[in-house]
Amino acid sequence: MDFGFTKEEALLQKMAREFAEKHIEPLAEKIDQENEVPKEILEGLAELELFGVPFPEKYGGADGGYAGYVLAVEQIARCSSGVGMIMSAHTLSVGAIGVFGTEDQKKKYMPPCCQGKQIASFAFTEPGTGSDPKQITSTAVKDGDSYILNGTKRFISNANFPGPIVIFARESESNEITAFIVDKFCEGYSISEPWKKMGMHGGPLLDVYLKDVRVPAENVLGQIGQGYPILQMGISFGKVGVSSCALGGMLAAYEEALKYAKEKTHRGAPIAKFQAIQLRIADLAMKYEASRWLTYRLGYLADNVKNPAVFAKEAALTKTVVCENSADVARISLDVHGSYGAMEDYKISRLYRDAIMGPQIEGVTDMQKMIISGVILKG
Amino acid sequence: MNIVVAMKQIPDLQQVRIRNRQPVFEDVPYTLGNIDKNALEAGVALKEALDAKLIVVSAGNEELEDTIKEALAAGADEAYLVIDDSLDNIASDTSATLIAAAIKKIDDVGIILFGEGSGDNYSGQVASRVAEILELPEVGYAKEIELNGQSLRVTRSLEESEELVEVELPTVITVVSEINEARIPAVTQILKAGKKPKEVVSPHELEIAIGSVQVTTLSNLAPETDRKQIVVKSVDELVKALTTEGLIGR
Ligand SMILES: Cc1cc2nc3c(=O)[nH]c(=O)nc-3n(C[C@H](O)[C@H](O)[C@H](O)COP(=O)(O)OP(=O)(O)OC[C@H]3O[C@@H](n4cnc5c(N)ncnc54)[C@H](O)[C@@H]3O)c2cc1C
Repeated sequence: MDFGFTKEEALLQKMAREFAEKHIEPLAEKIDQENEVPKEILEGLAELELFGVPFPEKYGGADGGYAGYVLAVEQIARCSSGVGMIMSAHTLSVGAIGVFGTEDQKKKYMPPCCQGKQIASFAFTEPGTGSDPKQITSTAVKDGDSYILNGTKRFISNANFPGPIVIFARESESNEITAFIVDKFCEGYSISEPWKKMGMHGGPLLDVYLKDVRVPAENVLGQIGQGYPILQMGISFGKVGVSSCALGGMLAAYEEALKYAKEKTHRGAPIAKFQAIQLRIADLAMKYEASRWLTYRLGYLADNVKNPAVFAKEAALTKTVVCENSADVARISLDVHGSYGAMEDYKISRLYRDAIMGPQIEGVTDMQKMIISGVILKG
Repeated sequence: MNIVVAMKQIPDLQQVRIRNRQPVFEDVPYTLGNIDKNALEAGVALKEALDAKLIVVSAGNEELEDTIKEALAAGADEAYLVIDDSLDNIASDTSATLIAAAIKKIDDVGIILFGEGSGDNYSGQVASRVAEILELPEVGYAKEIELNGQSLRVTRSLEESEELVEVELPTVITVVSEINEARIPAVTQILKAGKKPKEVVSPHELEIAIGSVQVTTLSNLAPETDRKQIVVKSVDELVKALTTEGLIGR
């Protein structure tokens, strides 16, 4: 067992870190205030091929695997969770097309997405359901060679960017959940104003309204009625990105605590001299190290999925530990800062708002635990 | 034409910690010097303009085969490496002898680029020594390189002035960091770096004997930075304090 990086992995990590420090960090406050990621950052990510890290070159990807992807997203999210979330939701959706799409679908949709010319979305949540996709009420009614989609999707990442969106709806003949690839901004597609989230600003979150959206039958992703396994598998891959995002935010919060503990003085000595601070630093290090290796391992597992149920369990487990740790780390780091941490002038207050959201995304922690124990108890 | 960029493998300085004023190199990965990366970037621009091949030349220990991928990812087409574990900590004259010998093995070299000094020792000698061995002109401290037919117009950044010179090829040029911003390589460039052609030779194959180390480092200490803890109550006082310290208004 070798836990070191190859030179290529180390360089990939370094490249993402350098880009993030140079081009994202100086704008991170602005992104937080304006809830929008400047175009130049998205163009920069595209230029470095960071929108297609895990996908085959044949479809425009960089062939860096999910193992490479986790390293990149961690470094990007270290400077902005919002930018990390754009990458994560996008990669989740492109990945679903990659796994379940026909050759034609892959050739049509993957290259512009991998090149960052388009940014993809994945839509299952509705006003009435998030954790329980079986209760999806959006409809798809067959009409000749097409399906007519109607419904409302809630909290959809990247819904404002042009590109494909994978939509889950109940197909009327089979009465089963089915996945469709839809071009955003086609006729009948509209979006709400962006939600004002407490954190992860810049990662756009909107409701999507589908009003008689006509989708050709060739845009069914997988088979009619196969939507549920696609959703499960897609979200499992999505948890690779969400974990990496949470990890990046955690690293930033950990670094802020270390910096503050050494800088802030009390009666002439840095507060790092206090045992209470030292114990917190140890907690931060333990949580970060545990999360880091789980996340990197999940990247490796995503490149080598053998049994989807086992992968779903590992993804749920990693996502839960990492997102909960990330929220804990932000809280502990804020404590190290004392009252200053509660001031918007201090970076930790933003990191805290970002981190606290992780456990709510792509299935809340309670639901992850149901998945984990479900697979374990089934044997 | 071939353009050569000489780059040095050094410890990643961002990861070097200082303990008891001594640098700690334990677990610090190798990288290439920052100014060397500017030289490489200048090489990439010239290569594109001249439709030339860009070859990175380096001498170092066995880690170099891995470290050099950084240059291959950032635009070098090939690498020519002199590798031996005795080359871990060599003096500038030995480096220059090895690099000059390596460059002699490459045909049709028109431009040889260096950083003005290496990221670790910064002795700034190797380029001049190589130019001397190869009997080539050297233009130091380039902040701008412009093609002018078969020659180059180089703006040199000197302490108090700039100098514009014209030089015929082949030539040795050292660059300063202001010359450009080194690019960040994209994912596939990184992943494919290891597949680019690479020639590895030993000093012995170049018929160069590595003598015993002629330079012994007696002491290498980080400067002490004691905080002066001067409290000022107004901007005027601050200006006065800084002037007294000789930091402004010189
Ligand atoms: C930043 C962000 C980005 C997002 N991006 C997307 C996106 O791109 N696409 C998308 O489709 N959605 C997206 N979402 C939505 C998100 O995935 C859902 O909100 C999430 O799955 C939870 O669903 P819900 O809010 O409806 O919670 P609910 O399902 O209503 O759950 C609420 C609570 O009830 C409990 N609960 C519910 N059911 C059970 C049960 N069976 N057993 C035990 N407890 C239960 C849970 O503990 C939970 O705490 C995003 C959300 C955020 C915050």
